[in-house]
Amino acid sequence: MTSAPLKETLQEQETAAAGNHAAGLPRLLPLVPGVPEDLRAHLARYGRPPTGNPGLIRAVEQSGLTGRGGAAFPVHRKLAIVAQARGRKVIVANGAESEPASRKDNLLLRAAPNLVLDGLQLAAEAIGAGEAHLYLHPGGSQEIARALAQRAAAGLDRVAVTVTEAPPRFLAGQESALVSRLGGGPAVPAFTPPRVSERGLGGAPTLVQNVETLAHLALIARYGPRWFRALGTSNEPGSMLVTVHTASNTQVVEAELGVPLRSLIPAAENAQAVLIGGFHGAWLPNDSTITLDNQTLNKHGAAVGAGVIAALPADRCGLAEAARVVRYLAAESAGQCGPCLNGLPRIAAAMAVLAGSGHHRQVRNDLERWAGLVTGRGACSHPDGTVRFVRSTLTVFAPEIARHARGHCSASNHKPFLPLPDHMPLTEDDWI
Amino acid sequence: MSGSTAFWYASRATGVVALLLLTAVLVLGILVNRQGRLPGLPRFAVTSLHRNISLLAVAFIAVHVLTAVLDTYVSIPVLSSVIPFASGYERFWLGLGAISFDLMLAMIITSLVRGRLNPILWRAIHLLAYLCWPVAFAHSIGSSKDLQQGWLLDLSIACALVITAAAVWRLASAARQLPRAARVQAILARHTPGVPKQRISR
Repeated sequence: MTSAPLKETLQEQETAAAGNHAAGLPRLLPLVPGVPEDLRAHLARYGRPPTGNPGLIRAVEQSGLTGRGGAAFPVHRKLAIVAQARGRKVIVANGAESEPASRKDNLLLRAAPNLVLDGLQLAAEAIGAGEAHLYLHPGGSQEIARALAQRAAAGLDRVAVTVTEAPPRFLAGQESALVSRLGGGPAVPAFTPPRVSERGLGGAPTLVQNVETLAHLALIARYGPRWFRALGTSNEPGSMLVTVHTASNTQVVEAELGVPLRSLIPAAENAQAVLIGGFHGAWLPNDSTITLDNQTLNKHGAAVGAGVIAALPADRCGLAEAARVVRYLAAESAGQCGPCLNGLPRIAAAMAVLAGSGHHRQVRNDLERWAGLVTGRGACSHPDGTVRFVRSTLTVFAPEIARHARGHCSASNHKPFLPLPDHMPLTEDDWI
Repeated sequence: MSGSTAFWYASRATGVVALLLLTAVLVLGILVNRQGRLPGLPRFAVTSLHRNISLLAVAFIAVHVLTAVLDTYVSIPVLSSVIPFASGYERFWLGLGAISFDLMLAMIITSLVRGRLNPILWRAIHLLAYLCWPVAFAHSIGSSKDLQQGWLLDLSIACALVITAAAVWRLASAARQLPRAARVQAILARHTPGVPKQRISR
């Protein structure tokens, strides 16, 4: 990976952040536009990581930090579960964001690798883990390797970090898939129980945290919970990295939780609908009252997820976009659970019919029925997430579905909008 | 007919019905395992049928056991229904019945709490079905003169043939199963034939 694309992405990030007026941002992303922070810059900005604090889990609890990988699970609870376990324990920083539309973990790993690695070491100390892993997609490995070398020279890291690359699969970052991959197997989700926090890598209790979560943790360890709660809402404090897709560009922005979505999407974009949370997320109408927090989004059947915000331009067809996404999601099924293996291709086929013209009313009924049948019946949340996306498509694009049924489409631009990988898994090697 | 013979006949009748139901449960279980379908039924309905008939079978077996115990013509202690070889009467054949009943209870209890159980453990216990049916079958043939002749014998042979065929089909189906990673694409191609493969493959 050359430095040119990094610089480009970082500049995109900074121009967007400049439009975000909340005080104290960015917290995680570099201060100087386009310049990733090496160890020296990192230490100058944040100081050394404060090791030896026995109250870190308590501080994380008071901060209200939730997982930034998508599930928004309270971080202190996961920390406490593994901390209470005896014997060998493992910690994994998860940078293998599965959403093709999410760029934030990759950007964070390249722009602020030391913040992630601080968080990894601090969390490892808090839970008593003697083994640390960093799991990521190819593309950030060089910056990480450099940061790890610099930190080793400075004697910063107590626990050695093993870096493993994830296969380019949608489910590769799912906790149990990650544990399977780190154990040498395919990145395929396992059935729970047991949870990885009880029995994970090599049978050891394993703490898996998203890289952004660890970066926030590294700052909470330094500045405390009060500082963390200075941004965001009282229920969902802090900031989060979001990937914003518009017709004109894709940006990673650090945003305060609770900000109106419209502050992240320029009005000039004239979006007809907004996809929030990613491909396991939901479409919402472009409504000015919606804010970036789960308290508001949950009322609309959506969640912040891993922070993907895609503003569908007015000239595109939401049904065509949704059909492409669902087909991709069906292809990314691990092929283990019947409802997912058999149900998602049917749903994908029906979505393709909706995106075409002149379909029958029965297609919608079939979709509703199948959606109900696959929900809650997988080892992982892949069928549930896919159904959430499908249902929101049926709701938000209902007028467009009616138009398609009559043989019309309101789109004038048929270029694909949402980013999708161009290959699907064919053999077991594609999962390794 | 006295009350006592009523129990005796009820026990024998429910035993025969239970054998038929257990045969159906095992065939449906094999079908569920191979993600097969019944004509006119979606896959999930096969699963529901498997579950419901297995509960029905247990209800019949409960009556079968209870009436056999209540019947006073021969003395069968109630505990011998779950403790193998604890009955003085037909010690061996009733012992087989107790074993198959225990195996059934293990499968049903683990299935009821399946959500909280390690899936590998659940599966291992559920595989006992392949032991449970032959044991129950041997119990049926051995402990009852009814099934050793006439049309009930034909029925028993038919059950055994159906189970043998289902087991052979299961093994053959598993042998020609696609590797996990290739399954998804095969099914996807079946449902969305219009999409050219090269556009989405590497």
